[in-house]
Amino acid sequence: MAEALLDVRNITKRFATSDGGILAVDDVSFSVAPGEFVSIIGPSGCGKSTLFNIIGGLTGDYEGHVAVEGATVVGTHPAIGMVFQEESTFPWRTVEENVAFPLEIGGMVRAARMERAAHFIALVGLTGFERRYPAELSGGMRQRVAIARTLASEPRILLMDEPFAALDEQTRLLLGDKVLQIQQTLKQTTLLITHNLTEAVQLSDRVLVMTYRPGRLKRSVTIDLPHPRDSEVVSSEAFGHYVAQIWQDLREEASRGIEDAESRVRLRGARR
Amino acid sequence: MTSGDATPMRIWALRAAFLAVALAAWEAISASGLLFRDVVPSLVAIGAALARVLGTPDFYANLAVTAQEIGAAVVIGGLCGLATGILLGSNRFLSQAFESLLLYLGPTPKIIFFPVMIMWFGVGPGSKIAMGVASCFFPIAISTAAGMRQIDAVLIRVGRSFRASPWQMIRCIYLPAMREPIVTGLRLGLGVAIIGTLLAETKLSNKGLGYLVIQAYALFDMPRMYALLILLFVLSIGLNALLGRFSRVTRGIST
Amino acid sequence: MTVRALARTRNGARAFGIATTVAAIAVVEGLIRGGAINAYIVPLPTQILAALPRIIAEEHVLQRFWQTAQEVLWASLLLAAFGIALGALLYRFRLLRQAFEAWVGALAAAPIVLMYPLFLVIFGRSTTTIVMIGFAAGLAPVILKTAEGLSGTRKVLIDVGRSFKLSPAQQFRKVLLPAALPSVFVGLRLGLIFAMINIVGVEFLINFGGLGQLINELAERYDLPGTYGAILFVILASVTFFDLTARIERWLRPVE
Repeated sequence: MAEALLDVRNITKRFATSDGGILAVDDVSFSVAPGEFVSIIGPSGCGKSTLFNIIGGLTGDYEGHVAVEGATVVGTHPAIGMVFQEESTFPWRTVEENVAFPLEIGGMVRAARMERAAHFIALVGLTGFERRYPAELSGGMRQRVAIARTLASEPRILLMDEPFAALDEQTRLLLGDKVLQIQQTLKQTTLLITHNLTEAVQLSDRVLVMTYRPGRLKRSVTIDLPHPRDSEVVSSEAFGHYVAQIWQDLREEASRGIEDAESRVRLRGARR
Repeated sequence: MTSGDATPMRIWALRAAFLAVALAAWEAISASGLLFRDVVPSLVAIGAALARVLGTPDFYANLAVTAQEIGAAVVIGGLCGLATGILLGSNRFLSQAFESLLLYLGPTPKIIFFPVMIMWFGVGPGSKIAMGVASCFFPIAISTAAGMRQIDAVLIRVGRSFRASPWQMIRCIYLPAMREPIVTGLRLGLGVAIIGTLLAETKLSNKGLGYLVIQAYALFDMPRMYALLILLFVLSIGLNALLGRFSRVTRGIST
Repeated sequence: MTVRALARTRNGARAFGIATTVAAIAVVEGLIRGGAINAYIVPLPTQILAALPRIIAEEHVLQRFWQTAQEVLWASLLLAAFGIALGALLYRFRLLRQAFEAWVGALAAAPIVLMYPLFLVIFGRSTTTIVMIGFAAGLAPVILKTAEGLSGTRKVLIDVGRSFKLSPAQQFRKVLLPAALPSVFVGLRLGLIFAMINIVGVEFLINFGGLGQLINELAERYDLPGTYGAILFVILASVTFFDLTARIERWLRPVE
C-alpha cells in the first residue's frame, strides 16, 4: 500500500457556545494516498466544513494532528491547496491575474507567471477569457478560475469544500467531469467535501461517510468503477448500487439532523 | 492585530486618555504663547465664558429665536419634502421627469441663495427660515421618494383592494411603511437645516445663535466664541443622537 | 409614436420634466412683465440670461471657477491623505475603532462649517481658511467609509489569502485594500461633495475666493440679474462636479 500523502489522525474539535459547547468533530482519522480522489460526504451539520478548515489550517485549537508526507502540519501549508465554497475570485483582478496570484506571491516575474497561468487557464477550459473580470463570467466559470488559481500553486493535496454547491445541476455535472479529467491528468491527490451523493460516487476512488454531529467517520466505501467515469458508467448498475449503499448510511444521519433541528425549534418556542 | 472584543472599561479608558491628552496639549499650547495669544485661550477662560453664556438670559433668548427658526424650517421643509417625495415615489412618470432635478439640486451650497431669500422674505427671521427650508427640503424629499419605492408592493395592493382614498393610502399605508426612511431623511434634513439657518444668521441677523457667534468674532472675544461653538456642537450632536435613538425605537415597533 | 407611448419612455418623461420647467419659467416671465411679481425682487428670466455673457466677460468667471476648483483640489488631497490614513488606522486597531468610530460618526452630523469664524481668526481671510473648512467638513465620511470598506472585506477572500500564506503586509496590499477600494471611493466622493458645498458657502460668507465670492459681490452691488446669473453658474458647476465625481467613481471601480 502506497504511503499516505495526507494523514488525518484523531481530529477532535469542540466549539464553546453560550449554552455549553458543541462537539463538532469527534476522533476522525483517515488517510489519502498519492493520486487518490477521496470524497467526504455527510448531512448538513456533520462538521465537514469544520474538517475542511482544520485540514486546510484555517482553524486551530483542535486535538489530533494533520500530517503531509509524515510531517505534522500546523496552520496553512503550501502543500495543501484550498478551493472554497463561496465566490472566492478577486473581483478586482482579471482571470489571468487571479490565476497568477500564487505565482505572484512566489515572486515570479510578470511575463513568466502570465505564461504559466495560461497553462492552468487552459486546463480548466477558460482559454480566451484571460483578460475578463470575474463579474463578466458565470458562477461556474468563476469557480473554474478559483480552481485554476489553486492548481497554479501546484499543491500536493487539493482540498475542496463543496465547490459546486452554488451551481445549477447541469453546470455542476459538467464541472465535476472537468475536475475529474484534470485530476486524472495531473494525478492530483484530491480531498473533496460534498453533500451530493452522485457527485461523490462519480468522482471518487473512495467515499468517507460522516455521521451527524458530532461528526465521526461512519464508513469508508471504495468505489471500484472504471475511468473515465462517463455517462455509461454513471448509468450502470454498479454505480446505482454504490449510491444506494451510501444513501442508506446517509439517510440515517440526515434524518437525525432534521429531528435535531426540529427539537431545537420546539425548545426555543417552549422557552418563550 | 488585536483579537477579541475590548471590554467597555478599556474603551472608556482610551476615550478618557484621548480627551485628557487633547485638553492637556491645548492648555500647553495656550500657556506657551506659541500661537497668537488669544487664538488658543486657556481652558479656564473658556470655562468661564461658558458659565457666563449659560448664566445670562440673553443666550436663551437667542437660542429660542434660532430654535423657532429651525423648527419652522423643518416643519415647512419636512411637509413639502414629504409631499414631494410621496408624489414622486408613487408615480414612475413624474419620478423620471423630475427626480433628477432633486438629485442634482440637492448637493448644492444653499447659502448662496440667501441674497435671494432676503429679497423675497426680508431681513428678519423669514429669510432664515427660508434658508432652513431650502436646506432640508431636498434630503427629506429624496429619502421619502426612495422610501416609497421600497414599500412592499403587496401592501399597496391591499390598500387598493380596499379602495382606500389617496389620503387614506398616505395615512394608513405609505407613512407607516416608510417610518425608517422618513426618520433618516429627517435626521439629515435637521442637520442641514441647522447649518443653513445658522449660517444665514451669521451673515445677516441681529438675533439668534449664529448672530452671537459672529458677534463674538467681531468683538474678538475668543473664549466666548469657543464657548458658543461648543454649545452649538453639543446641541446639534445631541439632537441627532436623540433622533437616532428615536429611529431605533420606531424600527422596533414596525414589523 | 403616439403621445402616450412616448410618455411611457424614460426620455419622454425627461422631456416632459424639462418642458414643464421651461414652461414654469415662461409663466414667471409673464407674471413679472404683467406686474404680478415685483421686478425688483425677481428679475426677468430673460434679463438673467442676458446677464450671463456679461458676467462671464466682466467678472472673470473662468478665473473664479478655477480659484474655487483649486481650493477643492487642495481639500481633496488633504482628504485623501488624512481620511484614508485615519480610516486604515481605525481598521487596524480594533480598540481604536470601538472607542472612536461613534465619535467620528457624530462629527459627520455636526455643523462643522459653523466654525468658519474660528478658522478666520486662526488662518485669516485667506485661501487656507477655505481649504481647511472644506477639509474639515469632508473628513468624517472618508474615515468612516475607509474603515467600513476594509473591515467589510468578505471573509472568504481573507481565507484565500491565508490559504496562500500571505504575510499581514501582503494581505493588506493584495486583498484588503483592493477589496476596500469601492467603499473608499464612495467615501471620497461624499467627502469631496461636502467639501465643495462648504467651500463655495464659505467663499460667499467671507467674501473671498472664487465663485461664492462672486455671488456675494454681485448681491452687495444690488445687481439682481447678475446675482441670479452667478447662482445659476454655481448650480451648473456643482451639478457638473457631482456628475463628474460619479463618473470617476464608476470608472475607478472596474467591476464589482
